Amino acid sequence: MATVMEMRRSHGRDQVKRRVDWIAYGYLSPALVTICVLSILPIFYTIYISLTDFNQMHFLSYQFVGLKNYEELLNPHDPLSNLFMPTFIWTLVYALCTTALSYLVGLILAVLLNNKHMKERTLYRTLLIVPWAVPNLISMLAWQGLLNDQYGQINALLHGLFGLPRIPWLTSALWARIAVIMVNVWAGFPYMMTVCLGALQSIPTDQYEAAEIDGANWWQVFRYVTMPSVWRISLPLLIPSFSYNFNNFNASYLLTGGGPPNSNNPFLGQTDILATAAYKMTLTFNRYDLGATISVLLFILVALISWVQMRYTGAFKEVDA
Amino acid sequence: MAMVNERFIASNSRRRTALRRRSRKSMQPGERIALWASRIVIWCVIVVVLLPMWFVVIASFNPSNSYISFSLFPSNASLANYKVLFQGGQFWTWVRNSVLVGVVVAVAQSFITAMSAFAFSKLRFYGRKYGLMTLLLLQMFPNILAIAAFYTALAKLNMIDMLGSYILVMLGTSAFNIWLLKGYMDSVPRELDEAAVIDGATTWQRFVHVTLPLSTPMMVVIFFLTLVGIFSEYMFAGTILQSPWNYTLGVGMYNLISGQFAKNWGEFAAAALLSAVPLAIVFALAQRYLTKGLVAGSVKG
Repeated sequence: MATVMEMRRSHGRDQVKRRVDWIAYGYLSPALVTICVLSILPIFYTIYISLTDFNQMHFLSYQFVGLKNYEELLNPHDPLSNLFMPTFIWTLVYALCTTALSYLVGLILAVLLNNKHMKERTLYRTLLIVPWAVPNLISMLAWQGLLNDQYGQINALLHGLFGLPRIPWLTSALWARIAVIMVNVWAGFPYMMTVCLGALQSIPTDQYEAAEIDGANWWQVFRYVTMPSVWRISLPLLIPSFSYNFNNFNASYLLTGGGPPNSNNPFLGQTDILATAAYKMTLTFNRYDLGATISVLLFILVALISWVQMRYTGAFKEVDA
Repeated sequence: MAMVNERFIASNSRRRTALRRRSRKSMQPGERIALWASRIVIWCVIVVVLLPMWFVVIASFNPSNSYISFSLFPSNASLANYKVLFQGGQFWTWVRNSVLVGVVVAVAQSFITAMSAFAFSKLRFYGRKYGLMTLLLLQMFPNILAIAAFYTALAKLNMIDMLGSYILVMLGTSAFNIWLLKGYMDSVPRELDEAAVIDGATTWQRFVHVTLPLSTPMMVVIFFLTLVGIFSEYMFAGTILQSPWNYTLGVGMYNLISGQFAKNWGEFAAAALLSAVPLAIVFALAQRYLTKGLVAGSVKG
């Protein structure tokens, strides 16, 4: 009898639990519709285009060619292969350097700013956030002008102050790459700083007081109280930040236009990342097929990297909690 | 027992306030050195970070475009660049187009995001558990990578060079924003929502009168992230909008600076200043909310 009662009770509880708000789908539908039409459908269309010879020559009568485009891009003996690999390696280097350096600079500044003796820190924080506040597109274009090696003010400053010779910021491959990373750290660190500062301020003061009573020195406090909390809060935001940089079209296209030109590659320049490569193949050279193929490869790469990171950090684990 | 406990708590809290007071009032010599060292580092960083922007300000007031010399203040400052910019008339067209697209998209996005975040946070339905995760994973394929698909599809539909199609393309909802807002809504006390249910509120009333007002900070964050995002968007704008009267601010400014750099640098600097300053001020005001929102979103997962 007791078990029957129990069963009935648990059954009842289950029913309460399983109550479904069908209206939820109504609330979700606008988002689902836009995501389907504007995110998912284009993915499939991109995959489809990457399997055809769809380009300006075959705008109306394109044919299915299977994996030919992928072979051309990935086979090291094919002339088109230096479209992909060098660009990919540079994209990876650029995204890693930019994310890591922005995080480092942001974290250091956040730690320095999180000093309660510093009365004027709000002012500093506001000033340091300016690069983030300026629309990315405007600052990238402005940097293009500032770094111009003939007329740009950065060279004028370095020359006037330190007597340095003109640095070919946007015309030499190495300097252009340094410029891309530098400018993107400049644009990216305030976000990291804001996140780290938020994390630092969310640490309960009890923990610091306990550490003080236990006689911990500042390094021990930093290592065992500050860092774990900062890490826990900022790590989930590092992953989107990395894939944002990986696909940051503005970063290279608006600053260098992908240039300087590459002698053994007629299509892409030295600072072209995969996202700008896909764009240029589509709009400048009208090779929609190759543009789509690069996009699909880039998608696979981003998915892989993010998957590894998510496994490693356990981010988004609580998303369905 | 209770009294002992109370006394213990009282003495403990007294000791704490004493500790706190000591650390606030008097600094040890080491702390003072650390404070000044960090100040100097921060000043240096601020100079390095802001000097390039000051250069843009100078350039906008500098009438001679032929060459740019290094100076911390404009040598014969004038408003010539601004005059050229306004007389050309195109600048206002670009601003109008950008504001139009930005506001329409930001309002629509905030609303769509709020509705689905509410569903994920407060309602029960099949797919709730893995739905958001799936959307997040799907959106690792950012829109910009489908540029070939978007361009060819729009070309076939004859929708190139229309502001409307640009707005349409930008309407795609960001799952990341839904995730941020859902995290924030989860931190709204459950009791409020339950009380509303007991009072017989409909789902819509729970959404509009309970959850939404309490999520305002995060909604502000999402609105401005979207708005600034539109002002920073070049790839689709540059692809879709081709006539000068359809240009957004970004495309217009890109065309100012690319090509005839030396000729237009001053004009570009003026345009950059005029468009960046209002956005930066709004952003600075919203920044307090941003910090709170981003941290709340990530803490609550």
